[in-house]
Amino acid sequence: MIVCVAVVGHQNNPLYIQSFTEADDALKLHHIVHCSLDVVDERVNNPRKSGPTLNETFLGLLYPTENYKVYGYLTNTKVKFIMVTTDLDVRDADVRNFFRRFHAAYVDAVSNPFHVPGKKITSKTFAESVSTIVKSFGFSSAI
Amino acid sequence: MQNYPEELRTPPVRLISLVGCPDLHPTISNHLLSEQPPIHTLAFPDLSNISFLLPLPSSKESSEPSLSTPPPGILKRDWLLKRRTKVPAVVAALFPSLHVSGDPAQWLQLCSDLDHLKAVTRSRNIKLVVIIVHSDSRDDINEDRMIALRKRAEVDTKYVIFVKPNDASDLSQSLHRLRNSFSELANVYYKDEGRKLKTRIEKRTSSYTELNIRYCFKAAVYAEFLSDWIEALRFYEDAYNKLWEISGLPTKSLSIQRLVEIKTVAEHLHFKISTLLLHSGKVVEAVTWFRQHITLYSRLIGEPDTEFLHWEWMSRQFMVFAELLETSSTTSLSIPALGLGTGNKPLTEWEFHSAYYYQLAANYLKEKRSSFELISSMYINADELEKTTESLVPSVYVGQYCRLLEQVDVTLMQIVTDKEFLNNTIAGEKKHQEPFHMITLLKKAYESYSHAKAQRMSSFCACQIAKEYYAMDNLEEAKRHFDNVASLYRREGWITLLWEVLSYLRDLSRKHGIVKDYLEYSLEMAALPISFDVHMLSLRSKDCCPVNPATLDNREKIHNEVFNLVHEESVLASVEHGKELKVTGDNPVHLEIDLVSPLRLVLLASVAFHEQVIKPGVPTLITVSLLSHLPLTIELDQLEVHFNQSECNFIVVNAERLPSAAMASDKHGHRVEQAPSLALSSNKWLRMTYQIKSDQSGKLECTSVIAKIRPNFTICCRAESPASMDDLPVWKFENHLETLPTKDPALAFSGLKTIQVEELDPEVDLILSASTPALVGETFIVPVTVVSKGPDIHSGELKINLVDVRGGGLFSPRETESFSSSHHVELLGISGMEDNADSHLISDEAMKIKQSFGLISVPFLKRGEPWSCKLQIKWHRAKPIMLYVSLGYSPLSDDPNAQKINVHRSLQIDGKPAVTIGHHILLPFRRDALLLSRTKAIPQSDQSLSLPLNETCILVISAQNCTEVPLQLLSMSIEADNDGIEEKSCSIKNASSNLVDPALLTPGEEFKKVFTVTSEINSSKQIRLGNVLLRWKRYSKTEDQYDSNVGSVLTTQSLPDVDIEFSPLIVCMESPPYAILGDPFTYFIKIKNQSKLLQEVKFSLADVQSFVISGSHDDTISILPVSEHVLGYKLVPLASGMLQLPRFTLTSARYSASFQPSMAESTVFVFPSKPPCELADKGDAGPESSGPISTSLS
Repeated sequence: MIVCVAVVGHQNNPLYIQSFTEADDALKLHHIVHCSLDVVDERVNNPRKSGPTLNETFLGLLYPTENYKVYGYLTNTKVKFIMVTTDLDVRDADVRNFFRRFHAAYVDAVSNPFHVPGKKITSKTFAESVSTIVKSFGFSSAI
Repeated sequence: MQNYPEELRTPPVRLISLVGCPDLHPTISNHLLSEQPPIHTLAFPDLSNISFLLPLPSSKESSEPSLSTPPPGILKRDWLLKRRTKVPAVVAALFPSLHVSGDPAQWLQLCSDLDHLKAVTRSRNIKLVVIIVHSDSRDDINEDRMIALRKRAEVDTKYVIFVKPNDASDLSQSLHRLRNSFSELANVYYKDEGRKLKTRIEKRTSSYTELNIRYCFKAAVYAEFLSDWIEALRFYEDAYNKLWEISGLPTKSLSIQRLVEIKTVAEHLHFKISTLLLHSGKVVEAVTWFRQHITLYSRLIGEPDTEFLHWEWMSRQFMVFAELLETSSTTSLSIPALGLGTGNKPLTEWEFHSAYYYQLAANYLKEKRSSFELISSMYINADELEKTTESLVPSVYVGQYCRLLEQVDVTLMQIVTDKEFLNNTIAGEKKHQEPFHMITLLKKAYESYSHAKAQRMSSFCACQIAKEYYAMDNLEEAKRHFDNVASLYRREGWITLLWEVLSYLRDLSRKHGIVKDYLEYSLEMAALPISFDVHMLSLRSKDCCPVNPATLDNREKIHNEVFNLVHEESVLASVEHGKELKVTGDNPVHLEIDLVSPLRLVLLASVAFHEQVIKPGVPTLITVSLLSHLPLTIELDQLEVHFNQSECNFIVVNAERLPSAAMASDKHGHRVEQAPSLALSSNKWLRMTYQIKSDQSGKLECTSVIAKIRPNFTICCRAESPASMDDLPVWKFENHLETLPTKDPALAFSGLKTIQVEELDPEVDLILSASTPALVGETFIVPVTVVSKGPDIHSGELKINLVDVRGGGLFSPRETESFSSSHHVELLGISGMEDNADSHLISDEAMKIKQSFGLISVPFLKRGEPWSCKLQIKWHRAKPIMLYVSLGYSPLSDDPNAQKINVHRSLQIDGKPAVTIGHHILLPFRRDALLLSRTKAIPQSDQSLSLPLNETCILVISAQNCTEVPLQLLSMSIEADNDGIEEKSCSIKNASSNLVDPALLTPGEEFKKVFTVTSEINSSKQIRLGNVLLRWKRYSKTEDQYDSNVGSVLTTQSLPDVDIEFSPLIVCMESPPYAILGDPFTYFIKIKNQSKLLQEVKFSLADVQSFVISGSHDDTISILPVSEHVLGYKLVPLASGMLQLPRFTLTSARYSASFQPSMAESTVFVFPSKPPCELADKGDAGPESSGPISTSLS
């Protein structure tokens, strides 16, 4: 299950962050998302190490914590997508698919003429579409 | 890692034992230890001692563990230690050679010793080596004894070794041999032991997994003894896997103690595996292995009561692995390519960093702490715990504990029940709590992350450290770490995280009773951009911490708390330290907000002048705008606006709140403005525009705006220009409506908090007048006039500066000519007005003059009073210059510090030469000298002029006025140089009148004067003719009454050098000045030989139509030395007018030079008839003589 998704801007500032847990660990998830930005920086700055993921938007598993797995995605405009999941066994294809749909939703949201680039995303439509994507995570491959 | 026993942490070292001959032991053991791989030595002085170490095997010990009952434990605690320190692989018996070869009693003793030793070693399969020490070289052992000894000891020949300690070379050889034997035998021993175990494992002799694990472990250790790391690893992994078979059973079936034992063994095995993997550089494998280890055992939590043990164990796994990674040098060198990890579970960067494991170790420790607190709270009955004080000790088996019962003379180990074990553990845990353990782990993680430049990870660790300190009430440390973390979150705009950190900081300052910090943190929290976002509502951490959910409600709550606090009546109790937070008159709070302060959210002051430049005393407008992001509207009591010119400061008073204060004048005499209301609503600019004027010129800058919110609470806000205002740190990421600080959008983008106040307009006329160009050499006068039109002039000062128009200085070091000063243009002096006798002399101290710079002070001048002076400037070269004159004065007082007003004027003046002086030299008329230098090649036309010796030449000097003004020429003379020929000035034709009355030269006119030059010295070198001195002045009708020498200028120009040359031949032509048609006249040609040689010359005279000639036409004649030959011709003119005389040509054979007179010289005028007037007088003068000009050159 996806517990948190985030869109992070150029200055590593959160543009959109949403957790999907009933439990009161949103703060913890925020910390996890924030910490994972270090890994994104590391991968972007040292592309040599990442080998096969060179030139790919999908950054793969960023870092495993005790209970979560954090995946990252970097758009070509250097906006970062972070996803935290509790599933310990996740297929890469599912995550890629998720990020692709998430990216599409993001593009729709920032295409809004009233959206100022670099500012937080406050669109309700975006929030709704994100929650739909999150809910369908894992099932999409079955369909 | 330090908690593990030494034998586990280090690789095993082979062990041998030395018995007998104790004086040799140090030599041997040092040698064995120094070689690679080292061998440890156990040394016994006497053979009888060996039985202490290796007691004779009892029947119980020798037997294999019973196969019918399950073994009580998995691994024996001391087995490994024993193998490393007590059970040698080889025993070496040292005998002195004397004993071997000695008397039978000694031999018998030796044999019995050997038998005893054999009995001990044989049972344990320990190898035996016999060493015979030759203390004396004379000792010889006979062959029979040797064979007997060998048979008795049952050793191979090569394991009987002779050592001669007295012979150094032999000793080292023997030692080497010893070592080889030992190492060989030890290998055999360990291999045998290992093989035995392997067969047991393969045969599955035991049905109990425990025993199999033990065998595997032992086999691995023996493999390690042999440095066979791969084999060792394989057996350790086998043991590990077999162990998992036991623990893999449903956890319910495992007792508490059993679980603890299994985990401890697993930990040991895992440690060994990880160490081996890391030492062989297989980092990826090690990390993967660790991950698998954790995945397997993290499920074995056990009973809820013992959960804390599990977390502690987990934490230890992470910590030990982190330490291993840190110490293993290979990690930093080669982190393998990522993504190549194990298939679907790729490894990530941080899994190769020790920091990651330290952090998780700390996390598990935290988990352990919370579960321990839970469990210990259940055991409220402290007495019950107290009773269980008798401590549990580790039992024979690894991971097992038992109670030590001390009887009278023996100690017994009693197995304890799970319940007792648990009680004991909890009691022990309570006693030995290590509060700093977690901080140590976190700090390690923090440092490691910082080192890897992972600032967010390290911040997270710092945040956790700070929380630990907070929980321990270590407020300083907590604040330090929190402050660091907060700055990162502020920068990156992570509001929720910032909110959490600020909550802690706020609570810390509350506990400390620091009102200022408390207010600052509270205000910052209240001003954070948190709106109605739903997802923020669920922000609550499980820990008991001061963090409330980040919501708008809570922001408002904090806001109200702050403003209640600054209202004097409220006091916020600081519970922990008995301190009270209150803001009173004795304890006012003053917050400073500078340009980088996070409190800019709370209050932001933008100040913009409406103009950029103003005149002093002229009012302009200033807009002061305030912005606050606090959630609720705040009312300000008053607002002070401060400037760098303090007299401009003004105060805005809120008329609603302080109606009385508005009436009272400010004690500093500052302007007080009234505003109907000073309410600052959230996220909305409060704009106020006021008039302001400054009397002082210079920069006027608004420095700060001080908002007095309550009588005891003020916020000082540094003023910012709207044009250069930074974004607010956190709000810049918010998607909210941004408004401009001023109504005028142009001002919002270009407005500045500074304004330039200009100087007062000068009310002074400064007049520079110079009508004509200056002439080189003269003292040029530039009158300067100062007239005050407005106020009086105090302490005026006039600065004069001469600057080259084309740039560069007026000074040229290149010029080597002898000017008195090397400046081309020079300021000579300044004189007062001539019509004002008093000011004619300006005292020296009032005037400072350098060559291109002057400074004079101007006396006090009343309104309308003029003052003037004259600048005397002299040009040494023709050069245009710029004259800058600036007058600085103060209109008000004599105070030197008073503000000055400056007036600047400039004037370009050209310096021009006054006269051009020319000259030319004429040789005597119709008298030509043969100058030998001229007969030579004449390509270089610029060669200097040559004059014949002893001849009189005429020098004409001309001076032309090249200015636009008339000049008066006072005198012209030639001045001889100090060496060379002397010259004497001659009188000018019509001289007397000219000398008295200077010659007037109108522009362009030329004046000429004639000199004669006669040279008498035959010198080979060039002769200087001297300098022309020309004295002149400007012509002025009005100045006639003055002495004509006053103001006159002497212009000097040097004449070119000439050569004086002796001429061997001189040709003179003599003819009357005129002739009359038909009248014959005589034409003489005199050829004079001045040399002391006979000169042969050839001459010819050409016929002409105009004359009838008598005389020889051409001939060759010889002229005696220093004599003259005269050719005479009679000529009758046949035509009238200007006629050409017959051409005469002379060729000197000696010098092969020919001569022909010039056309001009050989003409004569022929009258048609005798002129009616008398010409005879004039004819006497003769054309060849210069008439009245008489020059004598000596």
